[in-house]
Amino acid sequence: MSSFSVTEPSDRSKWFAGTLVIVYALITMMPLAWIMLTGFKSPSDAISYPPKVVFEPTLEGYVNLFTTRTRQTEEYLEANPPETWYEEIVREYDMVIAGPSKFGERFMNSVIIGFGSTFLSIVLGTLAAYAFSRFKIPLADDLLFFILSTRMMPPIAVAIPIFLMYRTLGLSDTHLGMILLYTAVNISLAVWLLKGFIDEIPREYEEAALIDGYTRFQAFYKVVLPQAATGIASTAIFCLIFAWNEYAFAVLLTSGTAQTAPPFIPTIIGVGGLDWPAVAAGATIFLLPVMVFTILLRKHLLRGITFGAVRK
Amino acid sequence: MSDTPVDRAATATPPRVARKIKGLSDRAIAWIFVGPTIFLLLAINIFPLIWTIKLSFTNFKANRIGREVKNIGFRNYERILTDSDIWLNMQATAHFLFWTIFFQVLIGFTLAYLINKKFKGNDLWTTIIVLPMMLSPAVVGNFWKFLYQPQIGLFNYVVAFFTGKDPSSFEMLGSVQLAPWSIVIVDTWMWTPFVMLICLAGLRSIPDYIYEAAEVDRASKLRQFFTITIPMVLPFLMLAVLFRGIENFKMFDLVVQLTGGGPGSTTELTSINLKREAFEKWRTGYASAYAIILFVTVFGLASIYVKALNKVKER
Amino acid sequence: MSNFFTGLLQLRRGPWEMVATILIGLGVFMLMQPFVLWGFTYSFITTLIGTVMFIVVSHFKE
Repeated sequence: MSSFSVTEPSDRSKWFAGTLVIVYALITMMPLAWIMLTGFKSPSDAISYPPKVVFEPTLEGYVNLFTTRTRQTEEYLEANPPETWYEEIVREYDMVIAGPSKFGERFMNSVIIGFGSTFLSIVLGTLAAYAFSRFKIPLADDLLFFILSTRMMPPIAVAIPIFLMYRTLGLSDTHLGMILLYTAVNISLAVWLLKGFIDEIPREYEEAALIDGYTRFQAFYKVVLPQAATGIASTAIFCLIFAWNEYAFAVLLTSGTAQTAPPFIPTIIGVGGLDWPAVAAGATIFLLPVMVFTILLRKHLLRGITFGAVRK
Repeated sequence: MSDTPVDRAATATPPRVARKIKGLSDRAIAWIFVGPTIFLLLAINIFPLIWTIKLSFTNFKANRIGREVKNIGFRNYERILTDSDIWLNMQATAHFLFWTIFFQVLIGFTLAYLINKKFKGNDLWTTIIVLPMMLSPAVVGNFWKFLYQPQIGLFNYVVAFFTGKDPSSFEMLGSVQLAPWSIVIVDTWMWTPFVMLICLAGLRSIPDYIYEAAEVDRASKLRQFFTITIPMVLPFLMLAVLFRGIENFKMFDLVVQLTGGGPGSTTELTSINLKREAFEKWRTGYASAYAIILFVTVFGLASIYVKALNKVKER
Repeated sequence: MSNFFTGLLQLRRGPWEMVATILIGLGVFMLMQPFVLWGFTYSFITTLIGTVMFIVVSHFKE
């Protein structure tokens, strides 16, 4: 490398590029920041005109998100002074907390279905990816294309027969049904990504193990799996994020016990229309884990979203 | 894929090794490993698909179970493909597809080009820019609905600030003219980072020595841009466009939360229309034919996508 | 160009995939164009032929 490189941009163009990108990043963050702020507003601040940038923060949105409330008579309110800080917030509207809302349940459903389907897709996906990577499978290319193409199917188009099938089998609105469905969607991504990761592990390691008297299973378990750990972890996060975000199947096939958070959050109703601070609070709680995972994943983002075609 | 002679040589286990392997044969293990995946996909994807094809030739209605199901041949397909209302839904989809891809490529490529200047802290800002595309589209649609509210929403207020218009003088979601653009804006906000990331990968795949050689030949910067940068990034860009095309062709969650297809049917994209037919009007047979039409289109585009994918992979 | 036609005659994968890709693209365009209704009507059959052709010809030799 010479001291003067033609491919290294000048300081001025770097500065210019940096400024533009930062401006874009700030603009793109505005909607997200606004929603997070709205979660800490009172309902009247949230719908004030013009929109308030400076306001007195309150946890009302979060309290409303997690509870159901009823109006009470003055005698009752005077006889029972508020005991906790969240009771106090509700008292300002002459209400008492009647019980927990469904949000906690729906959030847990998202967790159960998300982790359940991720676990299944990773287990099945790793096995299949290993086989595709190491063995001669007849029509391997066609099978891989078939696996990938299932990912491309429009959810609404397959939802009709799945709806009928689940109705017959009694799987509609159950955790198991949703886990199986999300596994079927995620497995294509898992197989494609993991095959790429396993392809990168030299075969010599296993062959050495086989010569040492390991069976194929042992070689797979003791040699390949540890080598593929990073790849497996990042694939898992991709599967988890997909299952976490999915809406179309969830809204068509669940309505109660197994409903996940995405179809639920928009239906949070307050007194007189949508309770925007509560909706914003729900969105914030729901989106934050994904943001954290995205930052963890940043090195593997491209690989995940292009089915492993682009490595870096 | 793995079809080089080296790979093939490596796959063929040497006989010396083979004799020592205990337990199941490789072929048996291969099928045990692939079997569950194939089984699951057959049960949850292929079986339903075949069922849909079968239903698409009938007048079945899923909310009337006792009713006699008649085989009506290709009539469902005929009705859909000559229906000018569905044709209008397709045009709404086309408007959405064309403009989202146009803006995403324009902004995404520009951003990638700027980030590739490797200014200090570019990694951090890239990660921040990427955030929107990882979020749940339904929740994103829901909170943009709040941002778009006339008077109380941030969006109208920002537009008012820059144009001097009255923030309550226009409704993004309520107006027939503006609603199709409102969904384009949100989708562009959400998915520009995707195009950006892929373009960035394309830009980074160009080896420095090509530019150095061009410099020696005294090619101008502009010429280098059009003869080196653009052609080298093009396969990556194709990949991004195809993927966004497929995804937006079947767009459902974001738009259904944002506009629900309205006002009227100005933003009723095909998937939303299909959902109405299938799960609100319960014309199951008719909707199945509709689903097959969408499916074949997506499948066709997906085969082109996989071809493009393998092309990029070979580089 | 003549390579393309000899490729077609010899049942090579490359040119045939190109034909199938063009058919699929044409079908998708016909489906969503705002100009003529008959284009919309015959879009499905065009895409279907293109897609089936694509699957078949991807098994031709390179």
